[in-house]
Amino acid sequence: MPRERPMVNSRSLVSVVDDDESVRESLPDLLREFGFATRAFSSAEEFLASDCVGHTRCLILDIAMPGMTGPELQLELRRRRKEIPIVFITALRDGAVRPRMLESGAVECLFKPFSDTALLEALDAALRTS
Amino acid sequence: MTTEGMTLNGDRTSFQWVHGGDAVAQMATTDLIDILDAVEVPIVLVRRDFIISCFNQAAADVLGLAPSAIGRASRDIPILAGLPHLEQQCSRVIAGGVESRVDFRDGDRWFVVRISPYPNSGRQVSGALLTFTNVTAFRGSINQAVYERECTKAILNTVADPLVVLSADQRIQSGNRAFYTMFGVSRDETQGIPFHELGNGTFDLVPLRSQLEEVLAGNDAFQPVEVDNIPTPRGERTLILDARPLSFPGHSERRSLVTFQDITVRKQAEVAKDLRSEEELRRSEAFLAEGQRLSLTGSFSWKVATDEITWSEQLYRIFEFEPGTPVTIERMNARVHPEDVPMMNERIERARAGGADFEYPHRLLMPDGSVKYVNAIAHGSRDAEGRLEYIGAVQDVTQRRASEEALGRARSEIAQVARVTSLGMLTASIAHEVNQPLSGIITNASTCLRMLAADPPNVAGARETARRTIRDGNRASDVITRLRALFTKRDPVIESVDLNEVAREVVALCLSRLQRHRVTLRLVLADDIPRVAADLVQLQQVILNLLVNASDAMRNIEDRPRELLIRTDLDEQDQVRLAVRDSGVGFDPRHAGALFDAFYTTKSDGMGVGLSVSRSIIESHDGRIWATLNDGPGATFWFSIPRAREGRIGAHGAMPIEGRS
Repeated sequence: MPRERPMVNSRSLVSVVDDDESVRESLPDLLREFGFATRAFSSAEEFLASDCVGHTRCLILDIAMPGMTGPELQLELRRRRKEIPIVFITALRDGAVRPRMLESGAVECLFKPFSDTALLEALDAALRTS
Repeated sequence: MTTEGMTLNGDRTSFQWVHGGDAVAQMATTDLIDILDAVEVPIVLVRRDFIISCFNQAAADVLGLAPSAIGRASRDIPILAGLPHLEQQCSRVIAGGVESRVDFRDGDRWFVVRISPYPNSGRQVSGALLTFTNVTAFRGSINQAVYERECTKAILNTVADPLVVLSADQRIQSGNRAFYTMFGVSRDETQGIPFHELGNGTFDLVPLRSQLEEVLAGNDAFQPVEVDNIPTPRGERTLILDARPLSFPGHSERRSLVTFQDITVRKQAEVAKDLRSEEELRRSEAFLAEGQRLSLTGSFSWKVATDEITWSEQLYRIFEFEPGTPVTIERMNARVHPEDVPMMNERIERARAGGADFEYPHRLLMPDGSVKYVNAIAHGSRDAEGRLEYIGAVQDVTQRRASEEALGRARSEIAQVARVTSLGMLTASIAHEVNQPLSGIITNASTCLRMLAADPPNVAGARETARRTIRDGNRASDVITRLRALFTKRDPVIESVDLNEVAREVVALCLSRLQRHRVTLRLVLADDIPRVAADLVQLQQVILNLLVNASDAMRNIEDRPRELLIRTDLDEQDQVRLAVRDSGVGFDPRHAGALFDAFYTTKSDGMGVGLSVSRSIIESHDGRIWATLNDGPGATFWFSIPRAREGRIGAHGAMPIEGRS
């Protein structure tokens, strides 16, 4: 399927920030199957401290995390003028959350659990914007 | 005037026979003079002109006449001057020749003075002979008799009870003052009238007349007779009549003394008292009946030996038997719910065997198919002959039981609401908890499929993702199990519970929520606390409620760390205690008492049932729940419950507790 998408650079780095370990385990494998390079971080702070901030083409970001939350990281990146397309993911199935996230500039907001196609569509959209 | 003093007996000069005529010489012989002097009665001879002519020795001794008195006028002699009208008396006697007697008192002495003409033997009367008979002793006895009579009269007149003496033909002779006063009659108008005419004929009674006849015949056995409605000036009276025979020495006629005892007041008081006690009895019976009716409690007595059973009215109503119909154990048994009959029979047999008190709740099956719940209580005692009797009460608790069941249901529903409320508040956590593993599962499964679909298939990678899928599936399953236990409505089960374990499980459920709220959680769980006898899920609800409250209390705290401490330990009363301490907004100490009331809330979106349900849960565990303000910011909520004891937990490790939720 990645081969059918010329716009997607197969080596684009997609970073995952989520405090849930099962997400950090499973999501990178799927992303690699999609053909992306990937890195996983357990917190916003860890991601900010890494060397990936500069060349991450898309950020898959959990909303509710201990310490710095997803939206706070979004603000922080904007403050640092690091405009990375963000796909929010959340286990909190709250109808009000998605519009708010899209309003604040996110490419997509997916509710866990989400399908691989929904993720791929979101990544496509993200990489088109960058 | 010539004085011829004759002194006889030598020097004795006391008898002076003084005479003024020749006749004296003829009669004055020595013997005569001696005789006169020997007489103890004073004798004084007074002449027609009241001059003392002579006196004997007794006159000198008794009256103190001196020899110089002879020839002097009687009025000049003190003792004779004291004799009233002596000169007139003497003149009359001398003139008429008829003697007279005069009572004469000299100090303590009384004399009867006989004044007789002298001489009285046909010759011309020339004087009066005074003889003084001393009657002092005699007179005293007369006085005494008069005095005694007056005293008796006074006593009789002072006696409040009327007394009357009847003649042999039952006629009124004489009464005391009370008698005349009682009947409003005078002595004169009743003297001699037949007794039965008294009191307007109210005494005209056969038993009275015949008994009076007996008494007048000398029979002393009078049975007192009570006579009602006797007309008197003071209204109608009730009197008790008694009589006894009277007889007087020397009198042959029998009389009877009739006494009257006025019992009108006593009688009225008795009637009033009877009326009053009757009224009191009636009232207390009414009280009892009303009390029984209101409390739906009937009373009974059961004489075991004879199976004699007595029921109160209310008990008939409870059993729906015709009031007053005889009650037997068989008849009662016919009303007892068939399932309770064996127990009932067993209790009855046990009650027959010994005098122990008993209490047993049972059911009645009424003819219309309805069921009544009653509770019978009885106290056994033995009478003087050792016969066993039970006195007891049967209360119809159907209504109360229904209320209790309704209350229990309501409480259970409130608890359910609280659970759902907690559920609502915890939706985020639950979704998070469940969706995290689900997310892993789906992602892994997608990856797995993709790996298998690759050319060549990445079998090793697919196997790894499949393994992770299974692991996340189990994780999700665990979460579901925990949640289901927490939010399923069910009867409480008491078992031996480790409070630390309960606390850890609840914390596991809340952890992500607490993390998202940036709450720092610390657990200080004492290792050595004993297990408690409790319903596991109910305790989870209480702890969850306290954690949610603590977390909410810190929601808007920005200027200090949001700290939550859960601590368990064994308190001074040997109870297991759990404390949840937050650094939140605390509470108004004025409302500390209301915190646990239903619908008290400080939260805009809270229902306020959480803490009240928590309290009802803890209290149903014989525990206590309370809140204190911290020294620093925030509050601490505590509860303590008794440690598990032998026997508190059922044989199978669990037992339902009725009516509790």
